[in-house]
Amino acid sequence: MNFKWLEDWFEKIEPKGKWSWLGSTYEAFHTFAFTPKTVTKSGSHIRDAVDMKRSIIIVVIALIPALLFGMWNIGYQTAMSTGADWHWLYMWWFGFLRMLPLIVVSYAVGLFIEFAFAQYRHHEVNEGYLATGLLIPMIIPVTTPLWQVALAVAFAVIIGKEVFGGSGMNFLNPALVARAFLFFSYPTHMSGDKVWIAADLWGSDAIAGATPMGELAAGMNPSASALDMLIGTIPGSTCETSVIAIALGAILLLMTGIASWRIMLSVFVGGGAMGLLFNAIGYNDYMQLPFYYHFLMGGFAFGAVFMATDPVTAAQTNCGKWIYGLLIGAFAVLLRVCNPAYPEGMMLSILFMNCMAPLIDHCVVAANIKRRERRIAR
Amino acid sequence: METIKIKKGLDIPLGGIAERHIVDARSIERYAVKPPDVVGFTPRLLVAEGDTVAAGQPLVEDKNDQRLTLPSPVSGVVEAIVRGEKRKLLEVVVKIDNSKLKIENSADASKILNSQFSILNSPCWWMIKERPFGTIANPDHKPKGIFVSMRDTNPLAPDIEFALKGREHEFEAGIKALEAFGTVHCVKAEGPHPAGNIGTIVAAISPINKGEYVWSVNAQDVANIGRWCLSGEYKPERVISVGGPAAKCPKYYRVLCGACMQRISAAQLIDPAYPTLGVGADLPDTTRVISGSPLSGTTIAADGFLGMYDQQVCFIEEGNYYDFMGWLMPGLKKYSFSYTFLSGILRPFKALEPLMPIKPTYSFNTNMHGSVRPFLFTGSFERVFPFDIYPLQLIKACIVGDVELQEKLGIYEVEPEDFALCEFIDPSKTEIQTIIREALEVLRKEAIA
Repeated sequence: MNFKWLEDWFEKIEPKGKWSWLGSTYEAFHTFAFTPKTVTKSGSHIRDAVDMKRSIIIVVIALIPALLFGMWNIGYQTAMSTGADWHWLYMWWFGFLRMLPLIVVSYAVGLFIEFAFAQYRHHEVNEGYLATGLLIPMIIPVTTPLWQVALAVAFAVIIGKEVFGGSGMNFLNPALVARAFLFFSYPTHMSGDKVWIAADLWGSDAIAGATPMGELAAGMNPSASALDMLIGTIPGSTCETSVIAIALGAILLLMTGIASWRIMLSVFVGGGAMGLLFNAIGYNDYMQLPFYYHFLMGGFAFGAVFMATDPVTAAQTNCGKWIYGLLIGAFAVLLRVCNPAYPEGMMLSILFMNCMAPLIDHCVVAANIKRRERRIAR
Repeated sequence: METIKIKKGLDIPLGGIAERHIVDARSIERYAVKPPDVVGFTPRLLVAEGDTVAAGQPLVEDKNDQRLTLPSPVSGVVEAIVRGEKRKLLEVVVKIDNSKLKIENSADASKILNSQFSILNSPCWWMIKERPFGTIANPDHKPKGIFVSMRDTNPLAPDIEFALKGREHEFEAGIKALEAFGTVHCVKAEGPHPAGNIGTIVAAISPINKGEYVWSVNAQDVANIGRWCLSGEYKPERVISVGGPAAKCPKYYRVLCGACMQRISAAQLIDPAYPTLGVGADLPDTTRVISGSPLSGTTIAADGFLGMYDQQVCFIEEGNYYDFMGWLMPGLKKYSFSYTFLSGILRPFKALEPLMPIKPTYSFNTNMHGSVRPFLFTGSFERVFPFDIYPLQLIKACIVGDVELQEKLGIYEVEPEDFALCEFIDPSKTEIQTIIREALEVLRKEAIA
């Protein structure tokens, strides 16, 4: 295919003179359409074909199974609650229409801020938000009002990321910052023990649905079976319920090497170990819950696959990644079981370990420095 | 010979590997000495244009240490003195004229072999490099080891044992001469690149601590030193591998140091029949000519000169083209260390390749394949960096200029070329080798002061 005309068009509209301040915006669109023709100047004359755009788009593609299933599940949950008899395609369409405004608002607000900051700093626009912007609508209740989404996105992008210098400089996962913002600012809309199921297509009415974790925290046994939780036909945040859909994304992330297998594996190992420890204590029903239930419930799988593995906010050393992941899994289960006030521990656990990741790395690197010093002494 | 085994690393499947056939190209007429190739060398010219020089006669000396000189590789006439910006001395070009006298060597061979002083005064001293910093060896330093790599693992690099064939006794004499300065380690590394790099070898055998020095000599230069010791003749020969995806007939050539590449480029780019094409053939500028490894070499003009320490020349197409939606396309022809392209996803299924309707083939050029970004992804550098060093952390310490942290993280153990693979695979397209070089320069200047 020949796209010479588009190349020419881009070269023609390149902002010059009094428009040159629009450089970052132009660059963003230009590099979106074409990988630039820049050649190497120093160092390695040949370069690997992978770049940031490619890496980020893999994350976005990995999210698609969970997103598609999540859309269907929104409709399914509404149909279950209202007793409507819908075709499965209509369920998906219903969910799609409910999800679309959330995604549009998230991208529009987030990208606007990203472009504004890039423009202001004369930086190139970083593609990191392409993943973050999709993650945010996927981890909030479907009934979240759009103005809250806009506010949360703005908070996450500005306070969670841009004040530190943009993508790559932040220490908290921006998507989780957005969720935490909603959770602490508007708890009535984001309650942990109940989630809200859309009552109709356009209105903001919602039906309260019980999640397995909410039931457990209240001292009941979960009404959903393990199989339901595995497939994801349970109430929850928009796209985090299906472990199977998440696993498909995880396979892509691991196959392409974009996500760290060390982190992903160690989160599950940490969570499983904590679950087994509670089984051994067995003080109450929740502690006696089979450990693998924790993997199936709530945001554990989604967090382990898409959130904990965010390379910027995770530990950066290989050894650090193991510690980081193990502790995320362990803390998530600990919070779930021992803190009935807030049934879902994954978000807080990851945010907490985001804060601890630099400390973990510091210790790992310090050990390397010690080793070097000992070598001199010898 | 010692051996080491390295697991971490990457052999890039770059096309155009030199055929094992040596073409004698010692009839090339013009040669250059290039002071910018020598780290930390502040040149002072000792000759003027038109002067007659003998092989081995110093053309430039180091302003800071007059014992360090760069000699003329051949006897002839100084044809040109090329200067760049701020009158920086780039090249001293010598045109061969064999009627000129060769430098007389009065010392008898057995004496040379036993005397350190003689090598220092020989034209060969510049061939010995020192780490940290990669300068010419300082004769006042006592190295804790002298390392010779017997396998160059760079993409398209020459097979050193093949290149040294017939020069074994010279090589042995060279080793013997070097032994006067310290233990000589001839190391054959096994494993993927950068196994054969001096940095990797030193790190595996005895890592450099602050205040320590190691020397290294290119294996072919060991033979050149040996030749000088045996016969008193300064004739710095090198068998270079010439190849690359844009080369028409990748081959080995036997040349002298600093040889003009004009005829070889013409043979590789226009007509494979070397050396039928005369001087002055029009060479296309759409191909980049690299003296040294494609991962860390220097761009030279198609009629430029071989770098001082280089033993390979590589021809690669310039990649100045737009790639429509390059970040989204399946990428069957793109090579990536990561598995983010279809070519990478299919890589583990190499056995099934005959069944595939379209097979992955890689085309390499000098395109950056993306724009510069902050570091986002972690963990891949470690897979191609066989040091007990945290690469990302060291690079960041260099970016912020924290000298103390750099020292703690092991900056003295590395050279820019050791980071070449990190730079190659980096999705952020950071100029890592430049960052490391600049950090090392700051440290080197501090060490002198």
